[in-house]
Amino acid sequence: MRENRCEAVVLAVLDYGEADKIITFFTREHGKIKCIARNAKNSRRRFGGVLELFARLRLQIVLREGLSRLQGADVVTIFPHIREDLSKIGYAGYACELSDRMLPEAQANVRLYRLLVSYLEQLDSFPCSADDRRFFEVNLLNVTGYRPALEICPNCGAELVSAPLLRYLPTQSGISCGCCRQAGREISPLTVSLLNAALQSGRFGAIRFPGTLLDEAGGILDSIIASHLNRPLHSLSFLQEALLVEGY
Amino acid sequence: MIYLSKSLTKLIGELKKLPGVGEKTALRLALHLLKSPANGTALAESLREVQNSVRFCSTCYAITEDDPCYICSGSRDATAICVVEEPQDLMAIERSGAFKGRYHVLHGALSPLNGVMPGNLRINQLLERLRGGMVKEVLLATNFSVEGEATALYLTKLIKPLGIKLTRLAYGIPLGSDLEYVDTATVQKAVEGRNIL
Repeated sequence: MRENRCEAVVLAVLDYGEADKIITFFTREHGKIKCIARNAKNSRRRFGGVLELFARLRLQIVLREGLSRLQGADVVTIFPHIREDLSKIGYAGYACELSDRMLPEAQANVRLYRLLVSYLEQLDSFPCSADDRRFFEVNLLNVTGYRPALEICPNCGAELVSAPLLRYLPTQSGISCGCCRQAGREISPLTVSLLNAALQSGRFGAIRFPGTLLDEAGGILDSIIASHLNRPLHSLSFLQEALLVEGY
Repeated sequence: MIYLSKSLTKLIGELKKLPGVGEKTALRLALHLLKSPANGTALAESLREVQNSVRFCSTCYAITEDDPCYICSGSRDATAICVVEEPQDLMAIERSGAFKGRYHVLHGALSPLNGVMPGNLRINQLLERLRGGMVKEVLLATNFSVEGEATALYLTKLIKPLGIKLTRLAYGIPLGSDLEYVDTATVQKAVEGRNIL
């Protein structure tokens, strides 16, 4: 069996048997893969405490259909500052679980890999913010092919950002101009324009959603994400609890 | 797999439920117990005894036969509490003999991805003990995994306002190990937490 070398972020870790672990990696080269790490709990020399949630690693693996075998792992970074802040752990856990659930197995998605790594780097280096979470979400929807139409009204073709009023209805093709639809949640064209800007800027921290616009953008993104998941994310309840106890 | 005896199949089925025991190991253990009936009887008696007498201490939630446990009812320092994830962590600290206070076992750690929330742990019971006003120091001895760190951070947020001294186990290089083989994260933490001599 040929050994493969690749770079990955740890999305999930599961204890298996006495000393083994099953780890879900998001690799840059092969997409999402599951690996078994034999004797991972005891072998400090091979895995030395690096098989930790959202750690960025260089792996040596033997690729197989189903469950690959992890031969060794070197740490690129464990994002130490994320581990020192409860809200950051909440946001990072959410980003990892969301990526895990939205990604199909064994399909490389380099753009999403870069997005996830950039988000973890942002969390590690700067104070966490809800704007960055929304930036991550809209870009994740974009690179996984689930982005809603943000440029033109799907019914009449009018430019959304120049319409006086927009409405959002999760069940019907997303955002429409106020002339085409009477039902649904009212949203400001500025929110749509900021979501568009978040897709084009390519850099965390560049876009800030003021007050109510952040709530509007959050409402739209939450409902789109929920419509693509068959059950709620565990990490979302944890994030809410973390933000509450941190006083956000 | 088909076996000749129904009761043997049942025993193998029960043994297979134990962690780390597969079909073959279960068969080997069952045959061993069959060959030496005295061992089997002693094992059955021990299991019955454990189930009847072992429970969790109503104060610290450690495994005990008497409630409160010998640590909570004894003369140990009641002003210091060491918070651990599992009973086996308590045993590890007790083996070291370095801690002279009392304990509190959470029975788990917060887990962002597995949905383990504060309500699933014995956190409220810990806060109740701390509000008693007797405790002067809480040592957070949760594991150094993301889950353990999250639990320690969460507890810090809850305990700090009570004005109790909070401490955390130190990171470090294991005794007798070569620095070159220690992972970079541990070395980094060890350097950050260096002591003045």
